Amino acid sequence: MPEFLLLLHDEPTRFAKMSPEEMQKATEKYMAWTKKPFYKGGKRLTPDLGRVIHANNGKPRSTDGPYSETKEVLGGFYTIEASSYDEAVQLSLSHPHLEYGGTIEVRQVWAM
Amino acid sequence: MSALAETGLLLDHLFRRQAGRIVAHLTRLLGPAQLDLAEESVQEAMVRALQTWPTQGVPENAEGWLFRVAHNAAIDAVRRNRALRDKTDAIVADLCRSASIPPGDPSIERRLRDDELRMIFLCCHPDIPRDSSVALSLKTVGGFSVREIARAFLADDTAIAQRLVRTKRQIRESGMTLDAPSAAEMQRRLDAALDVIYFIFNEGYTAHEGDELIRRDLCQEALRLGRLIAASSLAQPRVHALVALMALQAARSEARVDTSGNLVLLEEQDRSRWDQQLISLGFHHFDRSMSGEDVSQYHVEAAIAATHARAAADGSIDWPLILNLYGQLMELNPSPVVRLNRAVAVAKLEGPAAALDAIEPLEADPKLRDYYLLLAVRGHLLLQLNRLTEAAHCFRAALGCRCSEPERRFLRRKLEECRVG
Repeated sequence: MPEFLLLLHDEPTRFAKMSPEEMQKATEKYMAWTKKPFYKGGKRLTPDLGRVIHANNGKPRSTDGPYSETKEVLGGFYTIEASSYDEAVQLSLSHPHLEYGGTIEVRQVWAM
Repeated sequence: MSALAETGLLLDHLFRRQAGRIVAHLTRLLGPAQLDLAEESVQEAMVRALQTWPTQGVPENAEGWLFRVAHNAAIDAVRRNRALRDKTDAIVADLCRSASIPPGDPSIERRLRDDELRMIFLCCHPDIPRDSSVALSLKTVGGFSVREIARAFLADDTAIAQRLVRTKRQIRESGMTLDAPSAAEMQRRLDAALDVIYFIFNEGYTAHEGDELIRRDLCQEALRLGRLIAASSLAQPRVHALVALMALQAARSEARVDTSGNLVLLEEQDRSRWDQQLISLGFHHFDRSMSGEDVSQYHVEAAIAATHARAAADGSIDWPLILNLYGQLMELNPSPVVRLNRAVAVAKLEGPAAALDAIEPLEADPKLRDYYLLLAVRGHLLLQLNRLTEAAHCFRAALGCRCSEPERRFLRRKLEECRVG
């Protein structure tokens, strides 16, 4: 079964105005999603922009990025199993991240 | 996603409960002037939970985790806050000490309860206007969002947000503290707090249009705050009376509307739908309210609610006792609403004509001209007297007032009766 990588882009300030009750509901929804049968694993990333290293003509140079222009950061990633891109997208549509205004980037993992 | 998967993963209201007490605790350490900072720190802890728990799993001690992460967020914020300059080190040291106490320790539990109580008394300070106290209590102690408070009071978000900003400014500028007031001042503070709590309860209990779930939350929160005070050393008989009153009324709330969403009058309610747990809680506090000489408005109202709760069926309601209690209540609080309720007891004992006489003075009150309940009661009495045209006029006028959908259906049904008769 092909594997897909879901990259969850986040704008953490979005949650600033939510009540504790709403925050709990959101947390429960995110947690429930990781209990789904097609879910393989995931990791949370630290809430910062990270670094991007450019070759820079043989003199590699690292910069903040890659989203320094926006408030969105790559918040974490999941791997799921799906038969095709269509199915992977279909499964991702149920992720609460979209309900809360986030963005999910879906990429297929290359199978040898 | 199934409903089952969405719930049951975390303890009910875990975030709301913890938010209230952690904000109270941080505010105690930071001072009431830094209430915003305390709230933001708790918010940040919850965002962290949202971001980490789904992939890393829920920590074994979720409460302790939120407590610690909120402290760390506060420490970072205090270090960044230049306005605190010379106090920074001392506050950071306090926060670090507090963060290191193992959660669940009985001493910290006691401390947190105490902080929460002090926070209630700060929010309900008699110098703060009641509407502001209500909003601030719900926000900081109750863990309600601005949007939720606005929904509960049919106000718009901006108005509530501005009210909160003004109230916090008042607290800052008048230098209010979380210190325990003197014994004499305590009476005044306690009365103000009970008043705010009862107001929150009534707002949730009174059926007007608005979000059903939020209104139930208001009742629960008011009951929780009342019980918190009742369990403390500040518990006086009238605190127990208020808790009894709220519990006995809340016990009936489910039975007020039937399965098709129609309003059911008290006498016609299916008593098996009354919440027995709340009834026994109510009677427990009612008994405790009887120690001492204190007879407050809450005592009398609790006695009325208890009389209804004791009645096994419609015929056995002790109307003479209820009428007598309303008489006492009139002396303590001669409000139009009390007079109107008393008229219902008068109708039971002396008939509809006497009850009509009893409410006559109310009709001259311009504030009550658009009060649907007065019109509904009057219509009901006229209907009993077979004065159908006048009754129909009342129900039609009542339908033009602010009331909930089940109430509207009830009034339409009554209006129908006027035609049939």
